[in-house]
Amino acid sequence: MHRDRIAPRIRAFWRKFVLYSRLSAAFLAAVFLVPTLSAQQTKPGEYAVKATYLYNFARFVEWPVGVTAARGDSFAICVLGRDPFGRALDSTLAGEAIDGKPVVAKRISKPEDAASCRILFISPSEDTRLKDILPAIDKTGVLTVSDMPQFSRRGGMIQFVLEGNKVRFEVNLTNARDAGLTLSSELLKVAVTVRRNSEPGD
Amino acid sequence: MAGAPHDSITRKLTRMNMLVSAAALVIACAAFMAYDLASFREGILYDLSIQAQIIGSNSTSALLFDDPQSATTTLSALKAAPNIVSAGIYTPDGRPFATYWRDRESQIPALPPIPMGRAEAHWSKDKAVVLVRSITFKGKPAGIVYIQSDLQRLNARLQRYMVIAAIVLAASLLAALLVSSIFQRSTAEPIMHLAAIANAVSSDKNYSVRANPTGSRDELAVLVEAFNEMLEQIQTRDRALRDAQNELEERVEERTNQLTAANKELEAFSYSVSHDLRAPLRGIEGFSQILLDEFGDKLDEQGKKYLHRIRAGSQRMESLIDDLLNLSRVTRGEIHTARLDISGMARSVATDLQKTQPEREVEFRIEDGLETKADPGLLRIVLENLLSNAWKFTSKRPSACIEFGKIDHNGTAAFFVSDDGAGFDPAYADRLFGPFQRLHAMADFPGTGVGLATVQRVIQRHGGHIWAESAVGSGATFYFTLAATTREEEKL
Repeated sequence: MHRDRIAPRIRAFWRKFVLYSRLSAAFLAAVFLVPTLSAQQTKPGEYAVKATYLYNFARFVEWPVGVTAARGDSFAICVLGRDPFGRALDSTLAGEAIDGKPVVAKRISKPEDAASCRILFISPSEDTRLKDILPAIDKTGVLTVSDMPQFSRRGGMIQFVLEGNKVRFEVNLTNARDAGLTLSSELLKVAVTVRRNSEPGD
Repeated sequence: MAGAPHDSITRKLTRMNMLVSAAALVIACAAFMAYDLASFREGILYDLSIQAQIIGSNSTSALLFDDPQSATTTLSALKAAPNIVSAGIYTPDGRPFATYWRDRESQIPALPPIPMGRAEAHWSKDKAVVLVRSITFKGKPAGIVYIQSDLQRLNARLQRYMVIAAIVLAASLLAALLVSSIFQRSTAEPIMHLAAIANAVSSDKNYSVRANPTGSRDELAVLVEAFNEMLEQIQTRDRALRDAQNELEERVEERTNQLTAANKELEAFSYSVSHDLRAPLRGIEGFSQILLDEFGDKLDEQGKKYLHRIRAGSQRMESLIDDLLNLSRVTRGEIHTARLDISGMARSVATDLQKTQPEREVEFRIEDGLETKADPGLLRIVLENLLSNAWKFTSKRPSACIEFGKIDHNGTAAFFVSDDGAGFDPAYADRLFGPFQRLHAMADFPGTGVGLATVQRVIQRHGGHIWAESAVGSGATFYFTLAATTREEEKL
């Protein structure tokens, strides 16, 4: 499913709803349509939401001064592996800036390329190679995000999870700290789970 | 009479004191209250604004990561502020995101718009203040906070103020009452005292009383002093006036006595002179008669002529003396008034006159039935003089008419005697009644010139008035009034 924009979809459905309610007096039709509409509203596309969240993470995370100075004139959000966002990421980031640097989306194929990134989204397609990827970018000041299962337990920093049809996330604070990143308490407040590696049961 | 002004000035002073202090207090209290409540309300708004900012910055992540639960938790911290009725967080496009209610769940109100270009807006809404603040995160709008506070604290404060103001007002009115009762002694009492004294002075005409000095050096003391001084001056002036009057009376009495004595002396002198002149005159008269009778043939014509001159002169002198004695008697004698028939008296005098010169053709027109009250002897002298004057001054006419009657002169009755004889020049009218005054030559109309003076004296002694009108050659009219006559006429 391609959902680049939320508003046109809502508008399309609204038009449909109005049309239907005007054309048909049948109550059933309306009852049938309303849940569809509300479902579409709360879930405007999983990866569109995730793209927005990737950008929002950037605003709640502090990078070490060295990293901020070294990584050029732009703020790169990279995708490693098969890109699940489609155009959603590019359109979300278009025109946005963090600390005066324009935010750009990058697709990379090798973990070594992540050195120029601030945030790295590791596609679920890389699930099996994760063990090799994470050490390769260790200590480079890159915020690792993924929606692959158990990501936060397997050395990742932020893992998207679905609660019902809502996109939420888990945080592994230890992994982030090891990479020299500071996560805002505001961010931790809205996380589903905040893990620390020393915690029992990890 | 003494009570009413007493109450009035005291009450006025007291009322003035109370009104002034009450007005000052009410204004002061109102100003304080208005200022305090305004700043208190500002304080509430300031608190609300801070609370909204805290909530806003604590709900940014909740808004950005679509976590209403977290936002609701943040909002529930408002439980610590009992004045917050409700609060809410909205997404930047105005959708409700999280709400808080102090008492019970209710509908979140539609979000009122924040004016363009401002981060915050507030307004009053039935007994509550509403504050809306937009949340920005790193320069971008993240949402809107809505917070509503009741004004219970403000109202409680207002009530407390009212109670305090009422107590202060009552206390200060009581104080004003006390103060005015103290000041009344120094201000109102001297005024009341002064009013009582002034009242006594004006009603009893007693200028010897004095107002008590107040003992202080204010305008009231000056007033009391001036009042006392005024009374003093009035008394002094009264005394001087009375003294002057007494002295004047004494002097008048003294002068009157002197005058009376001098007058009596003069009259006595003139009487005795006149009387004593008669004796030598009789000698001259008697011996000139004897000379004429016994030795008339021995004298030539020239001698006889001189002798006749001596006799005529002595006879004239005798009649002069008679007249003078008459005048003197008229002046000295007492007056015994009686009711009398003046018409009859005039007729009797006229008859006597006609007998002296029966050859003359004179018509007497005497008004009948006229009566008056006067001394009969003196009034006869008046009528004799006036009628004989008329008889005398008509003697040059072949026939004459003499009239006696009564007219009304400016409301009083006046008798008159008029003739159509020689008359006199009115320019000399004022000289007519002086003794020895004559307006005609002796050769034309003989007379002593004492008659009219005598008449005037009689009229004056009766309290009347005499005057004459005439023109040369067209007769004369003599008018006289008698006080008795006038009164009698008025009674009728």
